[in-house]
Amino acid sequence: MKLLPLVLKNLLRKKTRSLLTIGSIVLPLFVICILGTLLRALEADPSGGKGMYRLIVRHKVSITNWLPGAYDPKIRNLPGVVETLRMNWFGGSYIDQSAKNQFARFSTSDADRLLKVFDEATVVEGSEAEWVNDRSGLLVGRQLMKRYGWKLGQKVAFKGDIYPITLELTIRAVFSAADESGVYFHHQAVEEALPRVKGFVGWYWLKTDSLAAAERVPKQIDAMFENSSYPTRSETEKEFQAMWVSMLGNVKLLVGSITTIIAIVILLIAANTMAMAARERVTEIAVLRVLGFTKEKILGLVLGESFALSVFGGALGLGLFVLLLPGFREGLVNSPMGAFGAGVRLFPEVLLLGFGVTVAVGLFAGLVPAIRSATRPITEGLRQVA
Amino acid sequence: MAEPLIRIENVVKQYTRDTQVLTVLDGLSLEVDKGEFVALMGPSGSGKTTLLNLIAGIDRPTSGRILVGADEVSSMSEGALAKWRSENVGFIFQLYNLVPVLTAFENVELPLLLTRLSKAERKKQAETALAVVALSDRLDHYPRQLSGGQEQRVAIARAIATDPALLVADEPTGDLDSKSGEEILVLLERLHSEFGKTIVMVTHDPKAAARAHRLVHLDKGVLKEDVRAKGEKGEIGVAAAAAIAAGK
Ligand SMILES: Nc1ncnc2c1ncn2[C@@H]1O[C@H](COP(=O)(O)OP(=O)(O)O)[C@@H](O)[C@H]1O
Ligand SMILES: [Mg+2]
Repeated sequence: MKLLPLVLKNLLRKKTRSLLTIGSIVLPLFVICILGTLLRALEADPSGGKGMYRLIVRHKVSITNWLPGAYDPKIRNLPGVVETLRMNWFGGSYIDQSAKNQFARFSTSDADRLLKVFDEATVVEGSEAEWVNDRSGLLVGRQLMKRYGWKLGQKVAFKGDIYPITLELTIRAVFSAADESGVYFHHQAVEEALPRVKGFVGWYWLKTDSLAAAERVPKQIDAMFENSSYPTRSETEKEFQAMWVSMLGNVKLLVGSITTIIAIVILLIAANTMAMAARERVTEIAVLRVLGFTKEKILGLVLGESFALSVFGGALGLGLFVLLLPGFREGLVNSPMGAFGAGVRLFPEVLLLGFGVTVAVGLFAGLVPAIRSATRPITEGLRQVA
Repeated sequence: MAEPLIRIENVVKQYTRDTQVLTVLDGLSLEVDKGEFVALMGPSGSGKTTLLNLIAGIDRPTSGRILVGADEVSSMSEGALAKWRSENVGFIFQLYNLVPVLTAFENVELPLLLTRLSKAERKKQAETALAVVALSDRLDHYPRQLSGGQEQRVAIARAIATDPALLVADEPTGDLDSKSGEEILVLLERLHSEFGKTIVMVTHDPKAAARAHRLVHLDKGVLKEDVRAKGEKGEIGVAAAAAIAAGK
């Protein structure tokens, strides 16, 4: 379009104002993209779909209530169940209670089965056998290894809170998976140090052979233990995650509202700039129309300027986001929120969101000034001089 | 006898403000021949600018007809008028009204952007127009780097860039010192005599009006006086213009 140079020159007319407006698009857009990514990461399934075949069996009342370890053979014998695993949340602390030293610590009664159930994980250092055969052995996520600079064979101590013991464990293997921020060790080590907890586990983690089984088995299990002193609640890992995410529903709502508010603020700032620009140019636009510029051309000129403003801001904001995302992911993965960091990547829908906000800002910020400029009678525009 | 280029037939222009109707032009009729140089005088508020805007197709009359050549501008749609203006009229303002972010060349090229001309043709035509106003050495200057007189010359170059038959000027010397004003008048005179432009110029200044070959005096929206210089090439003359401006 022949008028593009004029659009750009108009933009450069008030350089400071244009720069400030562009800046006020860049940073909020960056924040919108980061928030959008976090939201998507929270919803993502870190197992890559395998969670649909896996079940979690916990106490009906809550996950903090223990279940008898003796349920294992009964569950294991159900048709469609491929593997079972007894899991516990050890909790406790490493070094101290501070936020930077938070990560997940699990113990399992069935170390030899862990990687059969949790089968998207692979051992990248040491070996599964070394870990399985050492009762005080430790299996560590690769990110966590990096975070603390741990070495294979190194001893680390966890101080318990639920369990009033301190465990000293030796790193025997390192695993890689979507979420590499946790550690796993033998529950037998806990039971030896604290015999009174023997026979109880936190929850069961099991693998089924089909979606049909994943659908059928939870009902069978729950029915089987319905009238015992330890009734169960079974669901697929996906549902379990969904429950987790629904607990985060409020967070989502909050993030969604913040995103909307930021978008509206950008819009208002850009609209204000465009309104000022159009107001300053009333006479000039009237002169253009005298020269033969049609209403449509004037509309295009003002909207074009508004678009140019938002596209510059949008491109910079998205560019900044794409550039800084890997660093953001890295930082998150190495933080106590590591589990969420695992889900962080460049989501196309987030880019689309950023692009959409950019286009919407360009359109709506310029719309009213553009229509006003185009429809103002020429004589009225010219009379503003006198 | 030359044929009329502009025919204004019984034109009424009213503005309605709230319930009050203001009649600015009250049944005005006027013909301007092709190649005429007409000065339009009259007290402030007498409707000169309004009349000029109607002739230039910027505004439309409340009633009556305005024809320029074969085109009835008083009944054209807004879109058609825009195109018509770009091809048939050059407008010169009192305050030049150049686009400040564009160079002299780009300002003159502006109306040419609406044509089908190629970039090279636009360049040639804009440079020619700037040569006519003797500003070939100021192509890349921005309006703020030019004097008032130079700015007005750029504005004139812009008005003639598409080579329209009709030029309308609303107090083109009103904001200039007498020397620069004189240069503008000489330029308009040349556009009239050398390039055969029909010019309608509103002015308060008897010296400016004296350059024209016909003087139309407007008062309260009606034609009070219409004087033609004697002879083909003659001018009105300062004394006559002053007398008319003073209302005799
Ligand atoms: N758009 C408009 N709305 C209302 N009144 C107007 C408008 N344009 C001009 N007028 C009025 O019409 C009269 C003539 O104006 P104008 O043609 O500009 O006079 P002149 O150019 O002779 O000084 C003035 O009283 C002016 O206030
Ligand atoms: Mg006037």
